[in-house]
Amino acid sequence: MEPTIITKPNLEPELEIDPVAEKKAVRGGRKISPFASVQLSVFLMVLMAITVLLGAWCPQEGQVGQDKVFEAFNPEMAQWMIKLGISDIFHTPWFLALTAMMTLNMIVVSFQRVFPKIKTINEQLPFFGMREINRLPVHHLVSIADPDQKTAIMADLTSRLTRMGYKVEVEGHRLRAQSGKYGRLAASVTHVGLLSLLAGVSITSWTGFNGFKPVLMRESLDFKDASHAKLWVGKIPDWTARVQSTRRENYPSGEAKQWYSLLSVRDAKGKEITQGEISVNNPLSYDGVDIYQSSWGLDKLVVAFNGKERKFDLNSMGNRYAAMLPLTSDMILIMSLPTDGSEMRLFAKIPQVEQPRLLTTVAKGQTVDLGDVKFTFKEAIPITGLQYKCDPGLPVTYAAFFIIMAGVMLAAVPHRHVWASIENGGLYFGGASRKAKVGFEIALKDLAAKLGERK
Amino acid sequence: MSEIQMYLTNTAGISSMASFWAFVISGGLRPNADFRKTLLKIATFVMAVGFIALTLAIVARGIEAQRFPLSNLWESLLWFAWATMGGYLYIARAYGIQQLGWLASLTAATMFLYGSWLPQSQHEIQPLVPALVSYWRQIHVPPLIISYAMFFLAGLAGFINLFFCGRYVSLACSALAVILACTAIQLGTHSKTDAHILQALFVGATVFGPLASFLTFRIYSARRMADEKSQKLAAVYDDVGNRCVAIGFPLLTIGIITGGLWANHAWGSYWSWDPKESMALVTWLGYAAYIHLRIQQNLSQEKLSVVLIIGLLLTLLTYLGFNSLGFGGLHSYGQFK
Repeated sequence: MEPTIITKPNLEPELEIDPVAEKKAVRGGRKISPFASVQLSVFLMVLMAITVLLGAWCPQEGQVGQDKVFEAFNPEMAQWMIKLGISDIFHTPWFLALTAMMTLNMIVVSFQRVFPKIKTINEQLPFFGMREINRLPVHHLVSIADPDQKTAIMADLTSRLTRMGYKVEVEGHRLRAQSGKYGRLAASVTHVGLLSLLAGVSITSWTGFNGFKPVLMRESLDFKDASHAKLWVGKIPDWTARVQSTRRENYPSGEAKQWYSLLSVRDAKGKEITQGEISVNNPLSYDGVDIYQSSWGLDKLVVAFNGKERKFDLNSMGNRYAAMLPLTSDMILIMSLPTDGSEMRLFAKIPQVEQPRLLTTVAKGQTVDLGDVKFTFKEAIPITGLQYKCDPGLPVTYAAFFIIMAGVMLAAVPHRHVWASIENGGLYFGGASRKAKVGFEIALKDLAAKLGERK
Repeated sequence: MSEIQMYLTNTAGISSMASFWAFVISGGLRPNADFRKTLLKIATFVMAVGFIALTLAIVARGIEAQRFPLSNLWESLLWFAWATMGGYLYIARAYGIQQLGWLASLTAATMFLYGSWLPQSQHEIQPLVPALVSYWRQIHVPPLIISYAMFFLAGLAGFINLFFCGRYVSLACSALAVILACTAIQLGTHSKTDAHILQALFVGATVFGPLASFLTFRIYSARRMADEKSQKLAAVYDDVGNRCVAIGFPLLTIGIITGGLWANHAWGSYWSWDPKESMALVTWLGYAAYIHLRIQQNLSQEKLSVVLIIGLLLTLLTYLGFNSLGFGGLHSYGQFK
């Protein structure tokens, strides 16, 4: 007689399998703090999401300045945004209080709910009999016609479950198996990561500093204007970084491809300690301070009229830079330069004619006659935007990032249990999975079919 | 864009549209009709052809550009459509289901259509700005785009779950919210409508659509609820949604963290509350809330489905709404206005 298979798909709400942890909690009789409430966690997450959304929607004064708030909204609305703190929402007491509440909630949840689960990771669930198995969300019965087949069918089930990645234990005619138990550590690992992140950010806040400074070629970057938190125990370095040279590399189309600055690090006495070239995505690190290439431009134009030197401010105009000099009440001299500052074009512009008239071109260092005036193009001085930061908490923050990534990846590993028992002339087996339930259901159904095919 | 690249991209776009119609027509046939089964197989096969063509198109673009082909909105749309098609094919194979097919192919086709309306400069291979010349680009961006596609599929699974749970009115409210949100994005991209009006439309739809869905849960089809097959399918789609989030959430986390690492490497700050960063955090918080609700609160699958649809709207805002609804910030590479 061929064995029959009875499949009973269970549509009831699934048994939430984490009985070990739950029993422990009950046994231990621990009192859970109201701050460890998951409802509170969800509520705070929603509040934080709404707050951050407002911060993303309204231009933030700290990043783009108050002008942008007035640009984005009509004056009345902008005033309200400023008054309500929405235009600087990440520095409002509301945001700080919310962050503090989330931190408190996370710490309490971590220690009262999440971390205790680590202790239960190696605890085993008991072997189940027919009655318990039939109450599982997925369960099957494979009838065994020949009583001599009992051992063989149990061995077959053991071997198949082992091949599926389960750790199997057999006791007489009962079996228990589990897979993906480390998936249960996902929440613990993620919470360890989040707490480490808080630690890293706190260390940086108490000891780190940062800033931005546009520096002309042959001038130096110092850290006197660095910004840091009010509660701070760090130290501002006394060394400087001199910009030896700075340049822009272009695509053939003229668009900026990269900006470079050659920096010379010098001690307080001006003696060179080290040197390095930075570019966007390639900073210079020295003494715990990182210096980044942030922006670039031509800033000053140095020319001479009949040998008398004059400096002009340059303005960016698309792919070129230009300086203007009023010659008469209705005539302007335009000095236009490409981004490499190599060759200057001189134009004259009068209101009656729309297009400026090209007078001549002058190479760097060259002199030309403009009527009675000897015009010399001496140089264009570039300016490099240097961002700097000292972040002593960074190693902890980076470690936290990797722990969080490991935690969320572990969350994708489904933790599954399977139990089996041979009773009343049949193999009863079933199981539970908290994730990927359908895949689990299909796998057990296939297993039942394969075991049923045994003769 | 080279001819071969255009040919492959068009093949993918036409395939997604063809598979959409094949899925739709099959939906109108009797459930057990042989022709329906054949048509469903054809629809899945056509989508697989589109997926392969799109894979080749992305590779061809990378070879032509001599860089990793993910640097502007058009290229990201190709990746999004690719991940949506690939994600659906994986789900269809793993779960043996096809009801999601028409929505997945519609999403992919919409992305192709949206992309085709972008200015020509988006389709052409452009030189990279200095900030994007980094190996971090290929580490940071693909996980984000793939996570967005997985969240989309999760939201679509939420719609189908509501259908099989007989919550037709809730389904209609949420569907209307998504349609209005998409309209806001479309108008923001291709018209000069005031950004604040579009933002209000998007946010209004995101708030009131799901809220109406929750409030109308009491209205349901008793016949559908009594149908055992529908209930089983509803449970399957609940699991599909959860599976998509289980894949998308780690990818979003990796994308946000690698973005922080890149920003720190490039600018010395791993977090600067840039609007795009903030929006990614909002999406992350939304799905973190979903995971906590799912694990701890034992909410009904219908309610969880609406949470997934809210997640879809947040994803839409983070991915496309950011560019088209007038947000600024450092991540303006996707902007083209």
